[in-house]
Amino acid sequence: MARLRRVLIANRGEIAVRVIRACRDLGIEPVAVYAPSEADAPHVRLADAAVPLPADEPAAGYLNPGLLVDLARRAAADAIHPGYGFLAENPVFAAACDAAGITFVGPSASVLARCGDKAAARAAAVAAGAPVLVGTQPVEPSEAATHARKIGFPLLIKAVGGGGGKGIHLVHDRGGFDRAFQLARGEAETAFGDGRVYLERWIRAPRHVEVQIVADAAGRVVHLGERACSVQRRHQKLIEEAPAPAIDAGLRARLADAAVRVARELGYRNAGTVEFLVDGDECFFIEVNARIQVEHTVTEATTGVDLVALQLRLAAGEPLPFEQDAVAARGAAIECRISAEDPHRQFFPSLGVIDGAIEPAGPGVRVDSGVWVGQRVSRHFDPLLAKIITYAPTRDEAIARMRRALAECAISGVDTTMPFHRWALEQPDFISGGYDVRFADAWGAGPQITDGDATAALVAAAWFARGTTALTLPADGAPSRWNAAGGADRRRAPRVR
Amino acid sequence: MKVEVVVRGARRVVEVAPLDDGCAGVAGGMLVRDGEAEQRVRLEPVAGSECWRVVVDGSAVPARVIRTETGAEIVLGASRVAVDVRRALPIPSRRAGASGGSDRVEVRAPMPGLVIAIPRSAGETVEAGSPVAVVEAMKMQMDVAAPASGRVEEIRVRPGQEVMGGQVLVAIRSDGAVRGEGA
Repeated sequence: MARLRRVLIANRGEIAVRVIRACRDLGIEPVAVYAPSEADAPHVRLADAAVPLPADEPAAGYLNPGLLVDLARRAAADAIHPGYGFLAENPVFAAACDAAGITFVGPSASVLARCGDKAAARAAAVAAGAPVLVGTQPVEPSEAATHARKIGFPLLIKAVGGGGGKGIHLVHDRGGFDRAFQLARGEAETAFGDGRVYLERWIRAPRHVEVQIVADAAGRVVHLGERACSVQRRHQKLIEEAPAPAIDAGLRARLADAAVRVARELGYRNAGTVEFLVDGDECFFIEVNARIQVEHTVTEATTGVDLVALQLRLAAGEPLPFEQDAVAARGAAIECRISAEDPHRQFFPSLGVIDGAIEPAGPGVRVDSGVWVGQRVSRHFDPLLAKIITYAPTRDEAIARMRRALAECAISGVDTTMPFHRWALEQPDFISGGYDVRFADAWGAGPQITDGDATAALVAAAWFARGTTALTLPADGAPSRWNAAGGADRRRAPRVR
Repeated sequence: MKVEVVVRGARRVVEVAPLDDGCAGVAGGMLVRDGEAEQRVRLEPVAGSECWRVVVDGSAVPARVIRTETGAEIVLGASRVAVDVRRALPIPSRRAGASGGSDRVEVRAPMPGLVIAIPRSAGETVEAGSPVAVVEAMKMQMDVAAPASGRVEEIRVRPGQEVMGGQVLVAIRSDGAVRGEGA
C-alpha cells in the first residue's frame, strides 16, 4: 500500500489537533472539518484545509458517515482518521470508507463490529482464554429482573453499544432496578442507537487497568504496557497514569499476555486498548476500545512511541517498526483531563464561553488542548477541553510536576475539573498509588473548607475593593492607609484608630 | 474601605487598603484586615475576567472569582464558596428575604440541556428524592430529583424543550419533608 498523502480528520477539539501534529511529523497533509460554532478552533487553524459541517448537532456533522466520506473524497484525502468518540468505532463508517476507496485509520469494520458489541467481545475474550466477570448476553425487559436476581445485587447494567464509560448504570438493590433498567435503555437508544443492554457482576473496589496494543496487517501484535485509570466519576476517567502503580510484575505480565491474546483472537489491526478490572491479584476482561484513547499520551511518554503516527503508518500498510523485546517503558507519566464540568456540583456539564485560557508548560509538561478564547462550550459536544500530561523519572516527580502545572493553568468562563485534580494530587491514597475506582467518591461536593472561609473572605474583599475603587495612593503626604483605600468614598470612610 | 462579606452565613466586616511598602512586585497588593488579623493579599489577573493568581501572605493560590448578583463565587485551589460582598454601610442593613415560610419549592435544571421526560403531572404527589424531570446534555441523561416531598403545583416545561441551567422546570408545594442533602 502506498504512503498516505492527505488525511481528513473526522473529529474536533484536542484529538483533532493531536492527529494534525502526527500528520505534520510524517509529511502528510491534514484536512480538518468543523461545526459552525468552531470556525476559530485550533484544529481549523492548524490544518492545511478545513471543511465546514452543516450544523453543530453531531447527527448532521461529526456523526454523519455519508457526509464525512463525501467530504474526504472531495478533498482528495486518501484516508480518514476518526479520533475517538463520534464515529471512531462505527463499523458502518469504516465500511463506507472502504467502499469509497478511502483508508480508515483503525481496525476493519468486522473487528469494530465485534468490539462494539460488548457481548461478542466478551465471547472473544472467553475464546482467547482471558478471565471475564459473571454476566449475561443482551436481556429483554421481561426477563431482566430474573437475570438480575441470579447475578445478585449490586450489579451493572451495560449498553451493548456502549463503551468508554458511557451507558453504564450501577444498581444497588432490587428496588432501584426497574427504573435504572428503563433509564439505561433510553440512554442507550439515544446515545448509541441501540437499546440493548446486558448485566454484569459488580466488583466493590476494583482497579481499572488497561493495556495498549498495536497490531500490523500481518497480524503481529505488540503491547506497550499498561495504564491505570481508576480515578473516575460516572464511569468516566479523570486521571490516568502509566505504569499502573501497586501492580506486581506477575500481574503486569498476565494482563499484557491476556491483552495480546484477545487482540489475536479478534484479528485486531492498528492501535487499540484492552480494558480490565483488577481485584486483588485477579483480573477480568471488560472490553476492547477499538480506537486511539484519550489517555494514549501517558503510554507515549513512558515508551517514547508516537501512537498516532504509528496508527497512520500501520493504516498505510507498514509493518510494526519494533518487536516486543524492543519495547521498554521508563519513568512515570500522569494525565489530568480538564473538562468543562463543575466538580463542586456533581460534575455537571458547565456551558459558557471561554474568555481566557493560560496553558501550563515547562520541563516534563505536555498539553494537548483544543481550547481557544471565544470558544462556546456547547451541550452538543463532549466536555473535554484539554489534557495535561506530566512525565518524570519517578512517579513522585511526575506528581510534583502535575501540581506545578495545575497551579499554572487557568481557564476562565466555564467551570473545569481542575479543583478536583488539585485535590486528588494531595490525597494520601493517590500519592501511595493504592487507590481504586472509589477514589473520586471521597471528593463528594468538594473539600469542606473552614479556615479557607477566612481566606475566601479576604480574597472577596480584595476583589471587591479592587473592582470598585481605583486603588491609587494619595499624592498628599501619608494619611492613614485605611482612609486612602476609600477612594471616592474617602470623606465618609470611618477612621480606624 | 470597609467591605461587608458574608461567607456561609457568617458576616464579617473587612478593611482593605492599598499596600505601599516599597517592595518589588507589590503592584495591586492590598493590606486586608479581618478583625485582629492583618494579611497582605495580591490579586494578579491571569487570563481574562475570572482567573487570578492570589498571593495571600506570600503563598500563591490559583483562583477564579465568578461575579454573582450579590457578590461572587470563589474557587480557591480545590475549594469553592459563595460569598456575598458589598460596601459596608455605617448602619447595618437588614437582609431582605429572610425565610418567609413559603413552602413553594422550585425545581431547577441543574444544567442546560434537553428535557427528555416529566414523569409527574400537575396535582400528583412526589416523594423527596424521586425524579420530577429527566434532562439530557452531552449524551448523559440525568434524573432531576424533587428536593422536598409534596404536590406538583406547576409544570413549566415539556419534553423536547431546550432549557437553560437554573431554569425552573417544576414547582412543588412542599409538605415540609425536605431531603437531607443540599439541592
